[in-house]
Amino acid sequence: MNLALSDEQAMVRDMVRRFLADRYDAATMAKGPMSPDDWRALGELGLFALLAPEQAGGLGGGAVEVMIVSEEMGRALAITPLTEAVLLCGRAIAGDPVARRWGDRLMQGEALLAFAPGGAMTDGRLCGSGGIVRDGMDADAFVVETEAGALLLIDGQDSGVRRMPVRLVDGSMAAHVRFDAVHAVPLTIPGSAWAEAQALAGLSIVAELVGAMATLLDLTVDYVRQRHQFGKPIASFQVVQHRCARMYTWLEQSRSLLLKSALAEEEERVRAVTAARAYIGDAALKLAEEAVQLHGGMGVTDELAVGRGLRRVLLLSRLHGGGTAARAALAA
Amino acid sequence: MDLALGPEQHAFREEVRAFLAASLSPALRRGAALTSGVFAEPDIAREWQAILEAKGWLVYHWPDHAGGPGWTPVQRWIFEKECAEAGAPVLPGMGLKLVGPVLYTYGTPAQKDHYLPRLRSAEHVWAQGFSEPGSGSDLASLRTRAVRDGDHYVVSGHKIWTTQAQYANWLFALVRTDPHVKPQQGISFLLIDMALPGVMVKPILSASGDHELNEVFLDEVRVPVSDRVGDEGQGWSIAKFLLENERGGSSFAPAILADLARLRTSTGPLTGELADRALRLQLEAEALEMTELRTLIEIEHGAAPDPRSLTTKLLASEIRQGVEALAVDAFGLAGLQLPVERPFYGDDMPAPVGSAQAQVAAARYLNARAWSIFGGTSEIQLTLIAKAALGL
Ligand SMILES: Cc1cc2nc3c(=O)[nH]c(=O)nc-3n(C[C@H](O)[C@H](O)[C@H](O)COP(=O)(O)OP(=O)(O)OC[C@H]3O[C@@H](n4cnc5c(N)ncnc54)[C@H](O)[C@@H]3O)c2cc1C
Repeated sequence: MNLALSDEQAMVRDMVRRFLADRYDAATMAKGPMSPDDWRALGELGLFALLAPEQAGGLGGGAVEVMIVSEEMGRALAITPLTEAVLLCGRAIAGDPVARRWGDRLMQGEALLAFAPGGAMTDGRLCGSGGIVRDGMDADAFVVETEAGALLLIDGQDSGVRRMPVRLVDGSMAAHVRFDAVHAVPLTIPGSAWAEAQALAGLSIVAELVGAMATLLDLTVDYVRQRHQFGKPIASFQVVQHRCARMYTWLEQSRSLLLKSALAEEEERVRAVTAARAYIGDAALKLAEEAVQLHGGMGVTDELAVGRGLRRVLLLSRLHGGGTAARAALAA
Repeated sequence: MDLALGPEQHAFREEVRAFLAASLSPALRRGAALTSGVFAEPDIAREWQAILEAKGWLVYHWPDHAGGPGWTPVQRWIFEKECAEAGAPVLPGMGLKLVGPVLYTYGTPAQKDHYLPRLRSAEHVWAQGFSEPGSGSDLASLRTRAVRDGDHYVVSGHKIWTTQAQYANWLFALVRTDPHVKPQQGISFLLIDMALPGVMVKPILSASGDHELNEVFLDEVRVPVSDRVGDEGQGWSIAKFLLENERGGSSFAPAILADLARLRTSTGPLTGELADRALRLQLEAEALEMTELRTLIEIEHGAAPDPRSLTTKLLASEIRQGVEALAVDAFGLAGLQLPVERPFYGDDMPAPVGSAQAQVAAARYLNARAWSIFGGTSEIQLTLIAKAALGL
C-alpha cells in the first residue's frame, strides 16, 4: 500500500495548480465559468489528452489522474465542463471511428461536447426532451443517452436541436434541450467502458467537491483569525474553534472516501464512487454552509469566494440527485 | 387547559379569512410566492400596505393608544397565521415592526404625531442603520460619530448590511454621541433623513444575485437634535427593546408551515429521504408553533414573557433553512436554475424549466442562509439563551 503520488502525477498536479493559481485568487474564484481561452490553453497543455483513453489517441490517464486534476479544479473553484465534456463524452466517443474527429478537437480544447440524458429514437431520428444540459448552449455536439439506454452522437448544428438558455446556480449556462427529428450517429462502446466512464465522471465530481471543501475551510480559518469582535479574533471563541474543527473532520472523511474510490479495483469502482457521492454530497454542502455562517454577513454576499463557493458546491453536490440518489442506489 | 378558539376568536378568524379572500389579488399572491428575499419587493409591498391600512389592520401589533386595533396576542397570532396560509406578502419590518414601536414607546408627542402617520402611509420608508463593518455581533463597539453642533448633530460613519436602503428615504441609526463613557452608554438613537447632504447608499449584491443589502455612508450629515429618540446615551436600551421585537415580535412557525404545504403542492408527492426530511421539518415547525403559542397565551393571561421566547428565532432559522434546502432537492436539476433577472414574478424572467417555484428555489435557499446571521447570529442567540434561560 502506498498513497504517494508518482513523479508524473505530482507533475500533473503542479502544472494544473500553477495554471489555476495564475488565473484565480480569492477575489476571482467562482465568479463565472472559465473563459474559452483558458479552456483551450488547458487543451494545448495536453491536460485533456492526458485524461483520454489510449484508443482515442490520449495518454489513458485513470482514476488517480482524474482525482488529481479535478481536485485542483475544485480547489480553485474553477467552473469548467471537464466532467461532462472530457470524461463522459470524451470516453463515450473514444472507441468510435466516426466520432473520432470530435475526439481530437475535444482533446485540444477546440470543441465542446455536452451530455444529454433523454429523448428517444423514432423513425431513425432522435426526438423528445434532453432536459437541462450543462454547458448545452456552447456545445458543438452532444452525446445523448436515450431513455432506452442507447448512446448517440449528434451535431449541435442540426436544425432539429432546440436550445433554451438556462443559467445555473454557479453562473454557468446550461440549455434546456429539445430534439426534433435530429440525425443521430449510434456510438459503439462496450457497456463496461461506459460504466467506467460514468464512474470516472462521478469521481471527478467528488474530487472537485473535496478541493472546494479544502479551499472553503482555508478561507474560513484565515477569516476567523483576522476578524475581530469583542476586542479579539473570533477564532478565540471556543464555539468558532469547534465549528472549524468539525469542518476539518468532514473534509478528512471526504478525502478518505475520495481516495478509496480512486484506488478501488475496477469492479469495485462503481460502488466506491457511489459511496463517496453519498457522503461527500452532504458533507461538502454542510461545510460550505458553515463557512458562510462563520463569515457572518460577508458570507452571504457575492463579493467573497465563500458565498460564490456555496453556489458551486450546491450545484456539484446535487448533480445526478446528489447524496440522496447515491444512498438510494447503495440501499437498492 | 384547552387550545380551542373561543367563539369570538372563531368569528375573528372568519372575518380575517373573508378579508384576505377578498383583498389578496392573484398578482399579490403570485408575487409573494415568488419572492426570493426576506421581504416583499416595493411593488407588491406598497400595494398590500395600502390595502391593510385602509382596513385598519396594517399596524395590527401596535397597541390601541398608538393607533393599533387593540388586538390580543392570540388575535395577532390568528391574523399572522391566516396571512401566512393565504400567502400574503411579507411587509418589510424596518418601519412597522422596528422603528414604529420605538417611536410610540420612546418618542416625544411631536415625534409620534409626525412620524407614525407617515410610516403608515408609506410616505416614509425606513431602513435600519445599526451594523457597521467592524461592529456586527459586537454592536456596542459601533463607531459612527455624532458630534453636537448647536441644534444639530454632525454624523459621520459607515453603516453596512442595510436591508432595502435603496428604497428607503429614512434611516434609524445608532450613533456614538459620547466616546468617553462605557461603549453601551455613549450610544444614541437618531432618525436620519436620507435626502440630507452627505448620505450615500452603495449596493451589496448577495450570493443569490438579489440586491437586498447596502452600505450607507454618512459624511458630516447634519441631523436636527429633535430627531433624536430618547435621551442622549439611551440608544443602547432602545436598541435592546428593538432587537427583542426583531427576534420575537411575531410568530415564525405559521409562515414556515404554510411554505412547507405549498412546497408539497408544487413538487408533488415526495418519496424516500425527501419525504423523511419533509416530515421532520413539519414536526419541528409544529413544535415551534406550539412553543410560540404557549408564550402568547401566557402573555395574554398576564404573565411576563418566558425566556423560551428567545429560542424561536434560532429555531425558525434552522427550520427555514431546512425547508429551502429541501425545495432545491425536491425540484432536482430544475431547482438549480438561477436567472439574473428580478423579480422572479416579473415579465422579464426567462421561461422557467419545471415551474416558477423551481426557478426561485436556489435563490431562496441562498438567501435563507442569512436567517442564522441577521438580527443576531445563531451563535450569539445560543449564548443569550444559555444566559437568560439557564443562568449560565
Ligand atoms: C441578509 C441580512 C440583512 C441584514 N439587515 C440588516 C439591517 O437592515 N440593518 C443592520 O443594521 N444590520 C443588518 N444585518 C447585519 C446583521 O445584524 C449582522 O450581520 C450580524 O449581527 C452579524 O454580524 P457580522 O456580519 O459582522 O458577523 P460577525 O459578528 O463578524 O460574526 C462572524 C461569525 O463569528 C461568530 N461570532 C461572533 N462573535 C462570537 C462570539 N462571541 N461567540 C461565538 N461566535 C461568535 C458569529 O456567530 C459568526 O458566525 C443584516 C445581515 C444580513 C446577513
